[in-house]
Amino acid sequence: MAPLVPYEIITPNTNLLFAFIIGIGFGAVLEGSGFSSSRKLAGVFYGYDTVVLKVFFTGAITAMLGLLFMSLFGWINLNLVYINPTYLTSAILGGIIMGLGFIMGGFCPGTSFCAASIGKIDAMVFIVGLFLGVVLFTEGYPLWKSVYMANFLGYPKLSTALGLSDGVLALLVILAAIGMFFVGEWAEKKFPQEEY
Amino acid sequence: MKTRVILSMVFVALGAIIAAVPQNTTLPYKLTALQMLEASIDRVHYYSPEEVADIIVQKDPEYQLIDLRSQDEFEKFSLPNAINIPLNAILNEEYVDILNQDIKRNILFSNGSLDATKAWMIMTQLGWENNYVMEGGLNYWAEVIMNPIPPAQTSPDEEIARYLFRKAASSALSTGATTDTSASTAPLAKPPIIKRPMKKRVEGGC
Repeated sequence: MAPLVPYEIITPNTNLLFAFIIGIGFGAVLEGSGFSSSRKLAGVFYGYDTVVLKVFFTGAITAMLGLLFMSLFGWINLNLVYINPTYLTSAILGGIIMGLGFIMGGFCPGTSFCAASIGKIDAMVFIVGLFLGVVLFTEGYPLWKSVYMANFLGYPKLSTALGLSDGVLALLVILAAIGMFFVGEWAEKKFPQEEY
Repeated sequence: MKTRVILSMVFVALGAIIAAVPQNTTLPYKLTALQMLEASIDRVHYYSPEEVADIIVQKDPEYQLIDLRSQDEFEKFSLPNAINIPLNAILNEEYVDILNQDIKRNILFSNGSLDATKAWMIMTQLGWENNYVMEGGLNYWAEVIMNPIPPAQTSPDEEIARYLFRKAASSALSTGATTDTSASTAPLAKPPIIKRPMKKRVEGGC
């Protein structure tokens, strides 16, 4: 039955409409969780506010369980679900750049649009920087193409790399997430910061 | 009890269930029974032995021949350039790139047409396109291409033309006029397989 696009149940254009509607929902959840505040986002790096960790890990384990159960019931063919290709060098470099941008700017790409939509000027400046980065990357692509494409590892899954079944890995990720939630709450008490 | 503790317990319980149940590796079928019946009734998925002979003689790169018989039988005799994928292995991961792709047309054959039709039905149900069946299989091939029977003098022109084509194909394939399949040529090297990645969805991110 699903995924809907490869099975031609909906066209890629209808998919964009779905993405638009889900995107609005995503933005609403981000704003509702307080993700449009860069101080709250940066809090995860200093330990005074770990809402980013909690919201994203809750989202991840919910989606993970949803996909696995839908696969179990035969509603979705996981073989056709898109998995990001792994280019190891890019992943590491991109992670460092993204992390630095996140801690300096106080936003990640999604949350910057969320904050800009409620009128935050710092978020608008962040978006200008984001577009500058996109232009620099695309215009200079021949320069870093070799680095960008280096160490291609295919489409690995954590479960296959560790030799576990998807279900067992899911349970471990859930336990790790709950463990992190407790550590996060502890850090919030340890490094409290009023007025942010 | 706090809501978050209850939610944590729900997540752990669901995680335990999903860890305990076996993974669902069955592939969902794509067609309804009626669609499948329609696909089976119209005979567009058949290639006649004459058409297959023409493809082999022309070395048409658009097609690849898939021999569904066991490896033993394949090694004894097969059609030139055929790829051996035994019927019981058609769902193996290593052959998916050959059987589920949109670059070449696969012509399936076995001894009769039964095994090829079984494989064709399964693959069609899974939504794998570009698979066809050689009508009558190798038995019919041996009968009409390798050992064509001359028609009567009074036969219509088309019948005689078909016989002449079969004779020409038979000599062009130079396997001789024999029905003893075990004495025929060994299969040639496998053609290169064009790998195609899994169908992809649009990318997304944070």
